[in-house]
Amino acid sequence: MLIVFKLLFIVFSLYNIFGIFQRKKGGSLGLLGALFWSFFWCAVIVVVLWPTTVQMLADTFGIGRGSDFVLYISVALLFFLLFRLHIKIENMNKNITKIVRRDSLQEKS
Amino acid sequence: MFVAIVPAYNEGRTIERVVKELLSCVDSVIVVDDGSTDATAQKAKQAGAVVLSHKINRGQGAALETGHEYARKIGADYVLHFDADLQFDIQDIVPAFHALQESKADILVGSRYLDNRSNIPFTKRYILSPISRVVDFLFGGLKLTDAHNGFRILSKRALRSIVITHEGMAHATEIPRLVKKNKLTYIEFPVKVTYHEYGQNLFGGINVVKDLILGFFLHK
Repeated sequence: MLIVFKLLFIVFSLYNIFGIFQRKKGGSLGLLGALFWSFFWCAVIVVVLWPTTVQMLADTFGIGRGSDFVLYISVALLFFLLFRLHIKIENMNKNITKIVRRDSLQEKS
Repeated sequence: MFVAIVPAYNEGRTIERVVKELLSCVDSVIVVDDGSTDATAQKAKQAGAVVLSHKINRGQGAALETGHEYARKIGADYVLHFDADLQFDIQDIVPAFHALQESKADILVGSRYLDNRSNIPFTKRYILSPISRVVDFLFGGLKLTDAHNGFRILSKRALRSIVITHEGMAHATEIPRLVKKNKLTYIEFPVKVTYHEYGQNLFGGINVVKDLILGFFLHK
């Protein structure tokens, strides 16, 4: 059963890495983003294949359990992504305002 | 040319009176209808205002900047920011305008705390305003008694330098920041504020702080 889960995780990670390359090629993902996400999914594969690496990392950072380390990293990552999403939405809002403004001024001229 | 900019969102009840009264003090009134669903735009037009219409609601800061762009285009010498809900007193405009001209400052900022004419709610005067003063000082950098007062008069120089990027209420903190950044001179002037409703509450204030923090990370 464990092997099946491992296989599923690896296939899912490989699928995501493939997706990253596709998006990079299509221009919808920058180099930095592509590197970050490739590293992330490679790390997932490493952890799935050699779970003790998480414990080693946890020990390095002084965190007792490997699972706690994964949890902390996940929460930090989620906050970071949420923040980036927020920024993206705000930038889109600004662009919408620019269009609305241009439209209202053009109507007047 | 002295121009009044009035951002308005669903102010059909009061806009006609505001425009007519303003026209007795300024050369032209620009109403920026910020996506109203009532007859604000039509009533403002009938009353003699130039109406700029936002197809969708974008916030007070966005509406003011639309007014600024138009005022720059028509070559306005002075610009007055005035609310559409009759909370300000028309009688304050002429003395404020003279005070700005005499002081030769670039911008005049109204303050409801410099005299006792305003019926300020207790919690606003003693809890929210002191907090907002600290926030405004931290983010805006100017020591104003009432940064979140919508009554302002900008000279041509201030109009050129002050480009509002915050769409919501955070523009009230952004303006003092731009005054400081562009080395503009300013004066405060006592204005009367009549509260028809409570206005910005604590949650509104939290939103302003959130917008100000996010603003540092946005493309300008």
